[in-house]
Amino acid sequence: MAPLGSESEANGRHRNLIGAFVVLLLALASAHLPEASQQRISGVLQASVLRPFIFTQERLEEASVGAAQADSLMAIVDSLSAVLSTHSALLNENRTLRDLLALAERAGPGYVPATVLRPGTSGSESVFLVDIGERDGVRQGSPVVNPRGLVGVIREVRSRSAVGMDWTHPDFRVSAMLADGSAYGLVENRPGRFREDDRLILNGVAYNQEIELGSMVVTSGFEGGVYPRGIPIGRIDELRDEQGSWRRSYWLIPMVEPGAATHVVVLTGRAGGDALDAWAGDTIGADTIEGGEPPR
Amino acid sequence: MSAPAKVRVWGWVAILFFLHFLLHVGLSYGRPAPDLLTLGLLLAAREIGAGRASALGLFFGLLEDALSVLAFGANSVAMTLVAVGGATTRDLFVGDSRVFLIAYLFVGKWVRDLVHWIAVGEGLRQPFVEQVVVQGALHGLYVAAIGIVIAGLAGLGGES
Repeated sequence: MAPLGSESEANGRHRNLIGAFVVLLLALASAHLPEASQQRISGVLQASVLRPFIFTQERLEEASVGAAQADSLMAIVDSLSAVLSTHSALLNENRTLRDLLALAERAGPGYVPATVLRPGTSGSESVFLVDIGERDGVRQGSPVVNPRGLVGVIREVRSRSAVGMDWTHPDFRVSAMLADGSAYGLVENRPGRFREDDRLILNGVAYNQEIELGSMVVTSGFEGGVYPRGIPIGRIDELRDEQGSWRRSYWLIPMVEPGAATHVVVLTGRAGGDALDAWAGDTIGADTIEGGEPPR
Repeated sequence: MSAPAKVRVWGWVAILFFLHFLLHVGLSYGRPAPDLLTLGLLLAAREIGAGRASALGLFFGLLEDALSVLAFGANSVAMTLVAVGGATTRDLFVGDSRVFLIAYLFVGKWVRDLVHWIAVGEGLRQPFVEQVVVQGALHGLYVAAIGIVIAGLAGLGGES
């Protein structure tokens, strides 16, 4: 017969292993829960344990914008030379906000301005939070845009916030056309060896359709109402592939670098079906991607 | 391990938990910030049995999953497995030598990245060589380096 001490130790170890096995089953089950349950768990954790950290990020973002605006006003009051010496990042941010305001005014009340927050955790590289939600008219599938073009789409909506994915997400795809309507296809993400190498590709273009390099590609509005027609996506960069003699695909230079998009507008349920006019002045005539060189 | 030493370890686990979310979520540092949550979990797992370690791993994993909704569950599975593995090493390796601690933290973080890569699903994962072999090893070294600094501050890993 084994000593009493070693028997109780063995029992304790046995209980521990059973406990660990049960928790492991729970962890595996969490991956297969219905999406609604997963969203509920996420919502509860974001509103409780994670709330202070999300709140910190929101306040820092607001402070950053507030500081930028205060600096800008101070510079105007002080002198023209102070304005000229203002940091280029501040000028860029001001320009972005002004462009956003102009876009929202042109597009109408269906476009709601929002600030983008990045979770920055493992597995969330293509995911972002916006500080508006259901009460602002945001719904699942609402397109997220900025003055340059399409940033991504909303995937989850809560009362005061929403979660979206940008075009670098592998699930991202949007029905597209050339701005002049001469060719149609499907724009998808092509992951690179590293996240920074992600690119967009226009698939399914008819083989006999000649496309000029540099042509603007916009949403076609065929998504069953998800994306209105005319949101700029990117410009044709080069021929990527020919599938037999019936289809071609092209690499695109994206109009928006998602990491640089800090302020956006979200198209709510009240948005109209054609958005081409809203971007005509900002993007259709522009030559380069927001934030510099396109990703390769 | 003595009671004051245990309190010191748990204090550091709480600090690492707070710092992880402050750096990743609050200050949006993203990838340059180290994975202090896994480091804290690995340190805690050496102090408790597999049952409680797995519960802590599940809790940490769910918190990470709450911010990466498109692969919900992947972090929970990875953290739970790492916690169970970490707790199991108590029975296999006695003592807390510095060399063991480095190897333990490196392998723990690497395994966490590997399991996450598997659990995240085919549609979301990056190529194996880049994400697991290269980046996983670098992240493992990063966590091990931070872990050694923490161990020095907390007075852990001095035994041989």
